[in-house]
Amino acid sequence: MNISSDTDSRNGYGNVFIHKACKNEAENSYGGQVMVSAMAIAQAVISGLLIGSLYSLISMGLALIWGVMDIVNFAHGDFMMVAGYLTCILFDYAGVDPLLSVPVAFAVTFVLGILTQRFVIDRVLEAPPVSQIFATFALLMIIRNTALLIWGPKPTTITGLWYAELVFRPYGLTLSLIHILIAVICMVTTAILYIFITRTYTGIALRATSQNRLAARLLGIDIRKMYLLAFGIGVGLTGIGGALLASFYYIFPEVGARFCMLSFMIVVLGGFGSLFGALVGGLAIGVLEELSALLVNPALKDAIAFGIFILILLFKPTGLFGGRET
Amino acid sequence: MSEALRKLKMELKGPLSLILLAVTGILITLPLLVRNPFLINTLMLSFLFGFAALAWNLMAGYTGLLSFGHAVFFGIGAYTTMILLLWWRITPWIGMLAAGVTAGLVGFVIGIPFTRLRSHWFALGTLALGEVVQIIFINWRAVGGARGLETPIMPQCLYWLNFVDPTVHYYVIMGLLGVELFILYLIVNGRIGYYLQAIREDETAAMALGINPFKYKLISITISAFLTGIAGGFYTARFGYVDPFSVFGMMYISINISIIGILGGIYSLIGPLIGALVFVPAAEYTRAYIGSHFGARFYGIHLVAFGIILLAVCFIVPDGIMGWVERRGYIRAILGHGEEGVGGGE
Repeated sequence: MNISSDTDSRNGYGNVFIHKACKNEAENSYGGQVMVSAMAIAQAVISGLLIGSLYSLISMGLALIWGVMDIVNFAHGDFMMVAGYLTCILFDYAGVDPLLSVPVAFAVTFVLGILTQRFVIDRVLEAPPVSQIFATFALLMIIRNTALLIWGPKPTTITGLWYAELVFRPYGLTLSLIHILIAVICMVTTAILYIFITRTYTGIALRATSQNRLAARLLGIDIRKMYLLAFGIGVGLTGIGGALLASFYYIFPEVGARFCMLSFMIVVLGGFGSLFGALVGGLAIGVLEELSALLVNPALKDAIAFGIFILILLFKPTGLFGGRET
Repeated sequence: MSEALRKLKMELKGPLSLILLAVTGILITLPLLVRNPFLINTLMLSFLFGFAALAWNLMAGYTGLLSFGHAVFFGIGAYTTMILLLWWRITPWIGMLAAGVTAGLVGFVIGIPFTRLRSHWFALGTLALGEVVQIIFINWRAVGGARGLETPIMPQCLYWLNFVDPTVHYYVIMGLLGVELFILYLIVNGRIGYYLQAIREDETAAMALGINPFKYKLISITISAFLTGIAGGFYTARFGYVDPFSVFGMMYISINISIIGILGGIYSLIGPLIGALVFVPAAEYTRAYIGSHFGARFYGIHLVAFGIILLAVCFIVPDGIMGWVERRGYIRAILGHGEEGVGGGE
């Protein structure tokens, strides 16, 4: 009896205490949650910008091809996959750091792109859109399934990079070094591309071709060479993206599919054929995806992004930054 | 319509009726002569994909709306039939019709905004739409989420359209295919068909002639969605299991249907069916052969081969098998009459 009363009283006391503690906890966590979610939003925006820079890079490649040649390259993401595998192989067999194999990946995909342009795209340039779409689609099937044959369906990844685990925590944010490095490389590549297309003769010729094929030809620009260059560079940019992707993500034969869809979206969002639009669009989609993953549902982030893409396609077909309409 | 019927009657007076009779006769007696379930199953699959590809072709070939999102209609049809069966025990016969109606409604609603898009943009928009709908169904718990839905255990009878042996399903899809071909023949050779082709060739010129492109594109999308939905319903009836990855699969449904269409020839009525009869058996047999002789490790081979074939089709015969046959004048030679028979319901 005594004991029970004791326990009772203790329970009572304890309960009150627990209640108080809970209330405190609740208040704390409530306040904390508000703080955390503000932090989380900042975190999402920054993560989005970091991953978005990768999206931008790939999309600029697609925008270049699309703008110069009026071809929708459905196999775009698959060149990325090839570069990713190349990076993994270089790392596994020669120990080359994935960030150092970026130039190699660019060179290899550039050559692949030129070969593709020369032997596939060139033949359907004058064909109706149906043939163009299905020719690049056939390329997709060939590349993706050859990869499946060679490397099998299992994802591979690069493990044991010394900087893979390094994380900065400035102001309560979490930034992994590898994402920062990737964003820096993307930005440097973008800057080089910008200088190339605005400051060099070849780059200006490329833009001229994109603006008006006939006029460019009349001015003595070798259109065929421009096509080769555009496809090579466009695919090469994707190759850089693939090498960067391999440094922090899994590579498997279908890895390109999602990135290909995303880059279509970004190019349409940014205004068809506009490199600047693709740059901003990529960053915007990165942020949008991270935010919708945080605020709505991570599983639905692609659905939300594609849904917005459809809406833009339907109601603002020139893109948010006003490209040209076709 | 009556004009199309008259044309059909005239064509049937020629050798066409003999060819039709012979082909149908062979197909009907085939399961009785050949006791090979794999062959019958493969033919049934060919008919199923041919059915969907014919529907796709009304949009892609005749209206110029290249859809990469037909899995939306197919999947909605499959899920409609499944849900009616699972929740209310409604027979798949009614379920298939309901599947068509639901998919047709969805097609109508989707079509209202999507008719604004042209060529590349329509293809990209429908591609994205397919992805969105697939992701929604993967995350939609009430309809099974990523696990999908399974039919209840039912007796094997015609009422539930539930058989292990593919023969009955083979006859059913063949019947459906006949009806579909008849309907499509009437549409394509009637007023609507000519309007659709005019819109495909030059939308502005069609408008100048007083054709409302919006209205006729919408009709085309709705009919195509309706028919594709029926194919989805049949898929449920045959396989008894639906999940978002297969019935809303971009590769498995949307892309396969369009490749079949391209291969067979998108500017002819019968083309997609011929494409399906070439593509599906080739895919099934190489898959089975590779699987049993080389092991699952080499599963990509036949898809690489299809990629190369598709590329060759784009380069050499952009109008597909039927387009090639037609250009060489074989159809005219066989049917023995002039221009107006070409591209008809041979």
